[in-house]
Formats: sequence, structure tokens, C-alpha cells
Amino acid sequence: MTKNKPAISLENLTPIQLMEYDACTRCGECVKYCPAYNARDKDQAIEPRDKILRWRDFVTRSYGWRAKLFGPASIPEEEIKKFTDDLYNCTTCGMCGTVCCAGIDTIELWESTRANLVKHGTGPYGKQSLFPKLIGDGHNPYLKQQKDRLVWMTPDIKIAEKSDLAYFIGCTAGYNQQVLCVNTARILNKLDVPFMVLGEDEWCCASALIRTGQQHLGDVPKQTALHNIEALKARGAKRVVFACAGCFRAAKIDWPRAYGKALPFETIHMSQLLAEQLDAGKIKWEKSFDKTVTYHDPCHLGRHVGVFEEPRKVLKSMPGVKLIEMERNRHEQRCCGAGGGVKAGIPDLALNIAKDRVNDARATGAEVLISTCPFCRRNLIDGRDELKLEMRVDDLVVLSAHLMGLSTDIKSPAPGAPKETISDLFRTQTIPPKPPAEPKKEAPKEAPKESPKEATEKAQKEASNETKKEAEKK
Amino acid sequence: MTEGLEIFGKTVFDALFIDYRIMVVVAIISIILFLVGIYMQLDKWGRGVPEGATKPVGAWGTLKLMFQKTFEKGIGPALGIIALDVFLQRRIWRRRKTEWLMHMLIFWGWMGLFILTVAAAGAEFYGPFVKGTDFQFFADFWRTLELPNNVFGYILLAGIVIAIVRRVAFADVPSARDTSVDWIALAGLSIIIITGFWAQGLRVSYGVEERMLVSAYETVAPGFFNNPLVLFHEVFSLLFIAYLPFSKLFHMFVTPLVIMINKGGYAEVNPQE
Repeated sequence: MTKNKPAISLENLTPIQLMEYDACTRCGECVKYCPAYNARDKDQAIEPRDKILRWRDFVTRSYGWRAKLFGPASIPEEEIKKFTDDLYNCTTCGMCGTVCCAGIDTIELWESTRANLVKHGTGPYGKQSLFPKLIGDGHNPYLKQQKDRLVWMTPDIKIAEKSDLAYFIGCTAGYNQQVLCVNTARILNKLDVPFMVLGEDEWCCASALIRTGQQHLGDVPKQTALHNIEALKARGAKRVVFACAGCFRAAKIDWPRAYGKALPFETIHMSQLLAEQLDAGKIKWEKSFDKTVTYHDPCHLGRHVGVFEEPRKVLKSMPGVKLIEMERNRHEQRCCGAGGGVKAGIPDLALNIAKDRVNDARATGAEVLISTCPFCRRNLIDGRDELKLEMRVDDLVVLSAHLMGLSTDIKSPAPGAPKETISDLFRTQTIPPKPPAEPKKEAPKEAPKESPKEATEKAQKEASNETKKEAEKK
Repeated sequence: MTEGLEIFGKTVFDALFIDYRIMVVVAIISIILFLVGIYMQLDKWGRGVPEGATKPVGAWGTLKLMFQKTFEKGIGPALGIIALDVFLQRRIWRRRKTEWLMHMLIFWGWMGLFILTVAAAGAEFYGPFVKGTDFQFFADFWRTLELPNNVFGYILLAGIVIAIVRRVAFADVPSARDTSVDWIALAGLSIIIITGFWAQGLRVSYGVEERMLVSAYETVAPGFFNNPLVLFHEVFSLLFIAYLPFSKLFHMFVTPLVIMINKGGYAEVNPQE
């Protein structure tokens, strides 16, 4: 009698991670805190515990003692596909790992299992499959040009040709949230801290690929990490500052793995640099801000790397600011909903979680919601808009720049630019409407026109095929 | 005076209505099954590839990896984690106080009974083999163990009662998709503790000295073969332990290992300032 082939492989999982799957005590503590489970109307299939138990079951059916004696049990492909989809309904915020009574490192576990499922051919989810091509070929996930990396620059900003400090701008801030890089640069100028940037040499940090389990496809995250590290090293950077929590997390945790050793420079988040300057007595607040403010810890800055107090220190030092904590803060913060590829892949889930987080902020009575990550900022603005609240949402650098007496304005926003391009807090600028599109000429009859949905599906299919080919090659 | 059982030329006396001819065989089978189960789990985990490696490390590689990871920050920190997170179950204490009490009662009740059982079994052989004494050594030793045995038995029983009541009446999170595993664990532990008390009751009803005057191996009461309950208790307990590595209850062993390997888990790795 020939034995069946196991329905799943254990690729990308370490022995310790396989142990972790067996370690779940099923207590359900993670269920109480999971933002995705809550935003999905408490669907059991979304809870972290259920995902662990289902994958454990797959492993047992394929490699357990019964499988050893009698051959692996079959697992219907639809069951694996359903599991994959449920696994991607997760922002990899790590809240489940924080509260896990068994001490399971769930962030790594989800990412490794996603990588396994990408190789299997059922992952990733929706538009996430476009990331390898976008980041691999264009070096950013937004289909932008490398030459436009510094398009946000205003005449007043001075960037050094060579300096010990480098500012890694990131794709989201550089292309879509110019208010963040403009204000970060102005603050550094005001503090008389010389800095350089990589400009066209800066590539995406590749966080999106790693979070969605696509790190092995074309080895893109490794290549981009090595490129950025070498470029920064070649420019003589001793210290690199990040204003984006996602890039910071990637540089702090993922880049050293790709590099195989400690990075040749120190990495620091802008909130840490601000706190440092505050301690050194270099920050002089020139204005007051008489508002109640609440602070949202980005997962990638807080839980993932442990920076909790520096942003609070800066906020507490600001004249007039009354900082109120949300019930869930620091280690127990609720995710904004954008991470783990969810904003790109499952926007409705991202929005539902954002609404929950904005409601957390609303419960404090705060007038302003501050964060330290462009992704959180964008998603929380979306959540706020959906709830139609008056609350302002912005980044710590925008508020800091304003109180240091700096203009928070970017150069004239492009017509139809995304709303998050300019400051939501001060609203001194408006985005001109996009000019009406010229009527399109009728398409030739022999080439049927694709709807946007069809085009997306086609692109996804192409990317998915490439993914599969890549997996087969491996 | 009991006849005892001849083992390697020495007479081993019994005072617990246990027939070692059966117990030794069952114990050996249980230990072998348990070890086979552990090996199969290690072999399964060993199919994974550690970070930085290029191929699976296998069962022994996994064992090595577990030790490396546990002690990579030194013996002191590892012992700290074992004390706080395994023996005192700090992670559960932080989040779920009732469950912590339940786990502590079950864990320490079980550990206490296990240690006392091993000590009693050792004493039965230590007397004739090392000290060269008759049954009196064991009889005296057993008397000193009766009180702690009862205490740990009640501790375990209290833990089981809390676990059942909590599941039935006070669950604060929805149950997992399949709850049978919890009930199998509770049923197994309940059977062990109830039959254990019952067996001890039978022993007490005769008194230690009186039991010494009865052959443990005679076929009439109160000898062993007329006490199938005692046999059931002992055999069931041993086979239940042997069953664990093959069941979903294996987390009882894996969870403490994972906490040790992960250095206490999230809050300890990223301590709050």
C-alpha cells in the first residue's frame, strides 16, 4: 500500500515554532484581545487560538504518530485555502503573543506560516501578491519613480551631502505623506542636526513582503535590505533615523537577519531622537497647544521593538498638551488595523479595526489622536472619517514642528493627492481637486476593455503565477 | 508477617496492596510508551529548519536546540525563568488569577503526589536492598508520607473542582472549536484522584501494621487481587501518563518548555520601562 503524500509541508517553520503550535493551552486569552477577531464580528475562524489549533491539526494529520504508522491523512485543499485566508485576516500586531500564557512568539509564527502557505500556493491574499513585483522592480509598493524620492523637498530644507546621521524616509512618507518628511527634515534643521538622505538610492524597507510571508520570492527583502545597508554604509552613516515605525521595525529586526550580523550603524526612531534632544535641552517649544491629546502606540514601534515612553515624554513636555491614555495602551494597545498587509489586502478589515481604535481614543474625550507611524496615521484618519468624528489625527513630528515654531506646510499639494499628504491637525492647506479626466476615446472593438476589478484580478493572477513559479523553482 | 516478593534474592515487602509483578511490567510499558511518544514529537519538530540552517535538524538536533535556546543567556537567567514561569506560572498569574490558582493547585498537587509516589516506591526497595531491613522500614516511612499524600491529594482535587466549575459556569472567553480535549484531561485526572483516595481509604481501613501481616500477594481480601480498584488506580495512572505524548494534552509538557526557550515570553523579552 502506498502512503499518501502529506498535504502540507513544514517549510519555513523552525523546530521551536512547531513546538509552539503544540504548546497552545487553548486558554483563549488571545481571543479577548485580538483586534481582527473583534472587527470580524467575533468569527471563531479568525481568533488566534483557532488558527493555532487548525494548523496543529494539519501538522498532526500529516506528520503525527498516526501519519507515521498509517500514512498521512488527506486534507482537502479548500480547507487549507480557508485556513490561509483566515490567517491573512490578521495584522500581525502581536497582541496575541503579548498575552499568551504559553509565551508563544506569535508574530514570527504567523509570518513563517504565511511564508509556508505562499510556497504552498494558497497565500498571500488579494492585492498583496503584487508586492514582490512592485517592490522588486520599482523599489516601492506605490508604482512611483525612484527619481521622485525627494519630490517633497521644499527650498527651506537643508540636507547635507555627508553626515553621521542619515534620515531613512520610507516610501509611505516620501510619496504619500509628504507632511511627515517635510516636518522631520525641518525639525532636524531647526535642532541644528545635520543629516543626509539616500534619495534615489533609497529602496523600500520590504516590510510589506516579510509581513505577508513573501520574503523568499526572488529574495527581494534580502536584496533591498542589503542594498540599503550598503548604501548607508558607503555614505558613512553612523546613525540612521526613521520616522516610520514600519521601516524602523524592518531595520531593527529584519535587516540584521538579512545582513547576517549586527548593522554597521545605529538605528533610532524619530521619537527617540526627539526625546534625546529634549533631555539635552535643545528643544525649545515656542508655542502652546491647549488640547487634550491621546497617543496611539504603533505595533511596529511599541510591541515589536519596545519603544513606548519616548513619544510620551515628548508629548508630556509640550506646553498646554494634556496627555490622556487610552484604556489599552503600551503593551496592550489595540492595533490600528493597517499592518500585516491588511490595508492593501483586506481594506474592509483594516477600516473596521481602525474604527475600533478611534473609538478607544474617543472614549478618552481627547481632541487629538497622535501616533508615530504613517501607516497608523493614514488608517486612523480613514477610521475617523468613517465615524464622522471631529477628532484630529496626526503624527508626533507634525505637532512637534508646529510647537517649535515651524511651518507644517508642504509645497503645494498636487491636485487629487491623498488626504494624508497634508497635516490633518492644522489643516492650513487644502488639496486641489483632481481636474476632470478627458473623455476617453472609444476603445477598439477587438480589444475588450477591462474593468478596474478585472484588471486587478488579472494582475493578481499574474503575480500569483509568478509566485508559484518561484516556489516551484525553489 | 507478609511473605513479600523475592526480587534478586531480596524480599520486597508491600503495604499498599500493589502487586509488583503487575506494577513493574505496567510501569516499564508506560515508560517505554512515554519515551516513544516523546521521540515521535521530537522527530516531528525536527522536520523544521532552524534559522540560519539549511536542512531539518531531526529529533536529537531539536533536543540540542531546546537546551541551547533555554540556556543561551546563561544558567542564572534560565533558572529564574524556570522558577518564575514554570514553577510559579507568572504569565498566567498576570492575566488570569482564577486559572492561575487552578493551574497551581493541579500542577503542585500532581507534582507532590508524583514525587511522594516515587519516594515510596524507592523506600520499598531501599529497605531490603540498601539497609537490609525488613518491612518495618517501609511501614515507618509510609506513615510519614500519609499526611503529605493526603494534602497533595486535596490540593489536586481542589484544582480539578475549580477547573470543572469554571468551565461549566464562569468561562470568560468562548470555548475552542473542540473542547473534548479539556474534558478528557479533567476526566483522567478526576479518575486518578477519586480512585487514589478510595485506594488509600482501603489501606487505612486495615492499618499499616495489619497490612504487613497479610501477604500482599494472597488472593483473598485484603490482598491485592481482591482490590481491583487499587489495581485500576495504579495501572490507569501509569497509562494515562504514557498516553499524554500521543494526545493533545501534550501541551502540559510543551508549554513550560516553550516558555523556557522563549525566555519567559513577550513581556520578559520586551520589558515595560
